[in-house]
Amino acid sequence: MLILATLACYLFLQTQIDSLSFGGQGSFSSIDIIFISFLVSVIIAIVAVIAGVGGGVIFTPLLLAFTSFDTLLIRSTGLVVAMFSGLISTGPLMRKGLADIKLVLLGALPIIIGGMSGSFAAIHLARQYGDQSDGIIRLSLGLMLILIATIFVLKSGASDYPARKKSDNFSQRLKLRKTYWESSLSRYVSYRATNVKLSIFLFLLIGFTGGFFGLGGGWAAVPLLNLVMSIPIKVATGTSGVLLALGNAAAIWPYINVGALIGIIAAPWMLGQVIGGLIGASLLSSLKASVVRALLVAILFGSSLKLIARGIEALTGIQIPLL
Amino acid sequence: MRLYQKSLIPISGVIYGQTIYWLTFLSSSLVLIGTLVSFLEKDSPIPAAQLLQSVIDGKRVDQIWEGIGLSEAPDMFYFMANPSIGESITMIGICIGVSSVVPATFFSAYFLKKSRNPVFAVLAVAAGLLTCLAISGVAL
Repeated sequence: MLILATLACYLFLQTQIDSLSFGGQGSFSSIDIIFISFLVSVIIAIVAVIAGVGGGVIFTPLLLAFTSFDTLLIRSTGLVVAMFSGLISTGPLMRKGLADIKLVLLGALPIIIGGMSGSFAAIHLARQYGDQSDGIIRLSLGLMLILIATIFVLKSGASDYPARKKSDNFSQRLKLRKTYWESSLSRYVSYRATNVKLSIFLFLLIGFTGGFFGLGGGWAAVPLLNLVMSIPIKVATGTSGVLLALGNAAAIWPYINVGALIGIIAAPWMLGQVIGGLIGASLLSSLKASVVRALLVAILFGSSLKLIARGIEALTGIQIPLL
Repeated sequence: MRLYQKSLIPISGVIYGQTIYWLTFLSSSLVLIGTLVSFLEKDSPIPAAQLLQSVIDGKRVDQIWEGIGLSEAPDMFYFMANPSIGESITMIGICIGVSSVVPATFFSAYFLKKSRNPVFAVLAVAAGLLTCLAISGVAL
């Protein structure tokens, strides 16, 4: 019902509203841009769900690289993009046992504290350095994206069902173990978390970078849960979405409180995430994740080059002919 | 078998998930209504056309709100005091979705305590309180 209502709403806006009275850029009216934003958001959500990452890691670099929107506005909207596909999938994931409430709450505090610190740091940087901060953000995000893309290329070590290692005392005291029904195997799979203390520290770092750049953190939380904590990939992916929705909920408020989130801009991106998230989840079994992952790596590398070029241009004034 | 399968799923997680799911549904509906109102309303104090054009022109956030004629960027108090404006309905919708984790963590904490997981109940309450702190803007 929500999908139909949203599609009807945007088709109505596109066809019935006098687009000339809303201005625009080049040959696109503002309403065209809102409609395109909605469609792009649906596509981002589908790619993000299938590739097992948050939408923020695609949205924020693309808009920072290829639009002239204010960077604070892009990063706050990036957090909306990062969290809403996670929010809408929280109910089904918890009901199916594919997200672990204990792991979510364990990672929540460091991600919230890191995320809020990152958001405050981003706002402080923008106030302190003005336009120059945009250059710093674009350059550092471009470099970080190369790192993220490299992790995706090298992350062939991800294991569907990591071997059960001996859990540490801390993990045993917290009873971080669970059994879930694995429908693809038609049997129960048990796991127990390892390296809990190290993971808490890494969650803090993920929270900070997510809040600062408006990326969310799905790109890092899934490998952390799977490779460091030895959680099966399906539970790691589900838990990551739920965890980041909770963490980003705190990180986004510093942006809202300074007016850096604009409803009419965020709305098509948010609704696109909700609808694309639902479509992506239903396509999950029929599409090859490796193809989508290769597409994601290409987007990340392409965006990083453009971001680095724009960052250097903003900081030094030297024009770099790229795209 | 089905009964056993269900018993492995903690009620605290199900309550957490269902609370967020339905609040996100409500949030999405409000955002949809807000978007429509923004484009259809006349003489709004936050005109959609001007807001969109300012963003597309690449103006900074403070310049965007100054251009609209507001002395400072609107916060949630402004939106709640002017609930009939399209932008207000949209922002209230987004904020309901973003805040849905607060009641979810508190409900979850209650069921975690009942199922003898006091450490995680405390973590859930702490996560909810920290989010409340972020909402209040106190740390700013």
